[in-house]
Amino acid sequence: MLLLLLILFQVIESPQYKRVGGSVNQLRPALYAAVYINKGSTSVGSLSSIGLFRRYEGDTAWVNLRPNTITPGMGFTSFGDRHQLYLAGGNGLHRSTDEGRTWRVLTGWRTKEVLSVALDPADSLRLYISTPFGVYRSTDGGSTWIEKMRGFKTWFVRRVILDRVNRNMLYATGEDALYRSMDGAETWKQLSIGVPGIKWVMQHPADSNLLLVGTEDHGVRYSTDRGETWKQAAGLDTSAVYTLASTRDGSALYAAGFQTGVWRSMDKGATWSQVWKAPDFDAIYSVCVNPRNPEHLMAGTNGSGVSESFDNGRLWHDAGLPNAIVRQVVMYP
Amino acid sequence: MGAFGPMKTTFPILLLVMVRAVAPAQSVFEQRHAEVVRVASDERDRSFSTITAKLKTGNDVPYALAMLDSLTKDEAIGGMFYSYSLIGCYLHTQDLLPDSLKRKVREAYRTRTMYRGDTENHWVMYYTGLYLAAQTWPDEEGSRWFNGRSSSENFQEARDWLDHWITISSTRGQGEFDSPTYITTFMTPMVVLYDFALDPVMKKKAQMMLDLLFVDFAAEHLQGNYGGGHSRDYPEDIINPLAAPSTFWAWLYFGEPGFPPWVETRYRPRHRSGWEPVFGAVSSYRLPDIIYRIATDRTTPYVHTETKRVRNVIRFGKELNPPAFKYTYVTKNYILGSLHGGILQPIQQHTWDVTYVSDKPNNTIFTLHPFYSGKELAMFFPEEEKFLSDEVDRYHKVYTNPNKWNSSSPYEQTFQHKNALIVLYHIEQGVKQPHINGFFPKNLDEFVRNASGWIFCRAGGTYVAIYPLKPYQWMEEEVNWRLRSHELNNGFVVEVGSLDEDGSFEAFQKRLRLKKPEYSGFDSNRTVEYITRNGDRMKFTFGGERVLNGRHHSFKEYGFFNGPFVQSKLGSGVIRMKYKNQTRTLNFNNVSLVDTP
Repeated sequence: MLLLLLILFQVIESPQYKRVGGSVNQLRPALYAAVYINKGSTSVGSLSSIGLFRRYEGDTAWVNLRPNTITPGMGFTSFGDRHQLYLAGGNGLHRSTDEGRTWRVLTGWRTKEVLSVALDPADSLRLYISTPFGVYRSTDGGSTWIEKMRGFKTWFVRRVILDRVNRNMLYATGEDALYRSMDGAETWKQLSIGVPGIKWVMQHPADSNLLLVGTEDHGVRYSTDRGETWKQAAGLDTSAVYTLASTRDGSALYAAGFQTGVWRSMDKGATWSQVWKAPDFDAIYSVCVNPRNPEHLMAGTNGSGVSESFDNGRLWHDAGLPNAIVRQVVMYP
Repeated sequence: MGAFGPMKTTFPILLLVMVRAVAPAQSVFEQRHAEVVRVASDERDRSFSTITAKLKTGNDVPYALAMLDSLTKDEAIGGMFYSYSLIGCYLHTQDLLPDSLKRKVREAYRTRTMYRGDTENHWVMYYTGLYLAAQTWPDEEGSRWFNGRSSSENFQEARDWLDHWITISSTRGQGEFDSPTYITTFMTPMVVLYDFALDPVMKKKAQMMLDLLFVDFAAEHLQGNYGGGHSRDYPEDIINPLAAPSTFWAWLYFGEPGFPPWVETRYRPRHRSGWEPVFGAVSSYRLPDIIYRIATDRTTPYVHTETKRVRNVIRFGKELNPPAFKYTYVTKNYILGSLHGGILQPIQQHTWDVTYVSDKPNNTIFTLHPFYSGKELAMFFPEEEKFLSDEVDRYHKVYTNPNKWNSSSPYEQTFQHKNALIVLYHIEQGVKQPHINGFFPKNLDEFVRNASGWIFCRAGGTYVAIYPLKPYQWMEEEVNWRLRSHELNNGFVVEVGSLDEDGSFEAFQKRLRLKKPEYSGFDSNRTVEYITRNGDRMKFTFGGERVLNGRHHSFKEYGFFNGPFVQSKLGSGVIRMKYKNQTRTLNFNNVSLVDTP
């Protein structure tokens, strides 16, 4: 067979539509996992067990939500009782309005691979994506996209997020720096973090002035003035940090990355201590905290699927998706 | 498969005799096409190309239908390879398919994700498949397609990207250029697109792209070998050039080498069956005579240069698609060719070699620095730098191997003039795998290493001389000798000759024995000067100037194509082929094709 050969898919389970609370539009809480690649595959074209997966809270079984494309990220939003689920993937940005039963690709070939999506909670038509070729914005619900890179010095953008308070403010992790836009992505300003290789950016859920970034070689840095000035976090200062997470109230923050295990900060990111060494995992790409149970943590790993802890991260166990490189885990709603 | 094993070696020969006997009026070209289809129709592997062959010939039809049925039902299969070859098979054979099977083929484009992939060849296959599928089932709404988009949306998307690819490939070149391994993944979608695009403009573009792909190959072709530097190549194909998929296309369209590729087992790579050229064999596309002449007339040696482009550099670069410069010298005995050096492609670059005509395998000699780094890969792939080397190794097996035979390196640069080449290495301290490898086949007819410092090789009528600047080790391996040098500042001077150019092998050696490159200050100035046996003075500084006979060597003169057979100004979109009094001009700006006389 030639080279990369044909693409192998696993048998897809039909999504089940379990609803709670009596309302047909009330989503049952679930953990979603973005599986980038599965290490069980031996060919770059083998796509078995990749895409978006869902596990309902209280269940153990994962359901593949179908688009079998490499999947680095996802996004959720709701307008009234209508939920929208987004998948950022190799085939583009996908949207489902029926809980993952059907999908529509929103982007064309010009935007290429989509790495992350940022959604405006007040405007369903306004979307932002980051790609290896820049940031794109849509103001018509994903029908058309315009590149928005004025002010960037490089074009690779790993992640873009929207400020929780100011809908015109965005943050984007570029190859060389963190960038901020004050005008809905029209223009961008490079922020002076002091180190390149920004991997993740998070806005503190209880303090919108507090930004935290994970970096390639300098652990966590944080800013208390929305990015104007930055400080090095203590305790986690020489590692590659790929992800940051928070409890709903921001009382506990978590960080993980390359050979770091899981770290926690109880002082809004100023100091960190390790809570789990994770000796069996070479990297953790994503951590999320159950919004209804702050002691329940989930971690997406580099080739070992999902792990979870029910005691603030002290003890962890395998939660499924063997061999999967899980780039993002999100509990929604 | 056991029952078919013994047949493979004898059946094609019998078949060729039979075809010639029953169809004396057919051209040899048509006979090769028929032969491919008939031989493939006896294959049992589960592929759309062999299914197409069986249905086209009427051979083994029940088995073909069963295979097609299983492939349409098997949800474990999908993606870009699947997408274009499924629609190709369907369009070639739909008159022979029962309605139930037709429905299953259609349903496949709804029920499974056709993954687009992340390389140029992936996208060509994906969008060709999407274009033809959307054309075949027009006016259907998004719920009928795997991506939720309507037939017209999918058709427009595919058409726009194919237009984009054709434009950039005909003005700045392919990113995955001149690949003996990956050539199939461009040729096959284009012949299928040519055969079935209903839009006459797209059909014409597909035809012109095929002409372009073929003439690009033809100008660097020698008896089935794809000579010179390559953007991407599998190591098995690099050390055994006739094992590459390009050989099958060469045999089918150029009639060289003089044997069908499936007959010579020593050239059959173990890792693939390779029947995709069936789509070429059943196609109505016909190679223009002028390209056939360009591919096969080696009466006069010539220099051929090209400019290609680096695939998308997403990180750590100043330019998204920097140029890649190629220089190739072609004679009837050998091709000496080189890329200008540096990282032009991740993973599988082949920077330079001499490939010669031989009746033995492994007919090539080259050196390389087996470089690897996560940062190199992160230039081209969005994954994390710290993991990329391991991740790529899972697929390509050899990326971090110190003995690998394919590699780009930022520490390797070349300067070539006709049949002489200087390749320099300036490897930084701390780089992984800080050594240089050289490949020398063990089946050379003569081989001399002596006090002159030169390594002399003879393979048939081709002579190769290599002068290593620094000490090296000599290691025996299965099919080759491996030169290995751990000197970080290093280089080789290469001269290639032949019976026609130099007379005897002894005479060739004699001309070179007393010649020495001047490199006394190399460790500080990284400069080598060398006067070739033909009297040309080459001066080359790593990271600096290339000077020939006192004149700066400019890559601007390389053009998009610049040689006796193919001429094109970079960015013009106009490619002019010339052979004696024949010309063919491809003008991609107005999608026209003009032949003279």
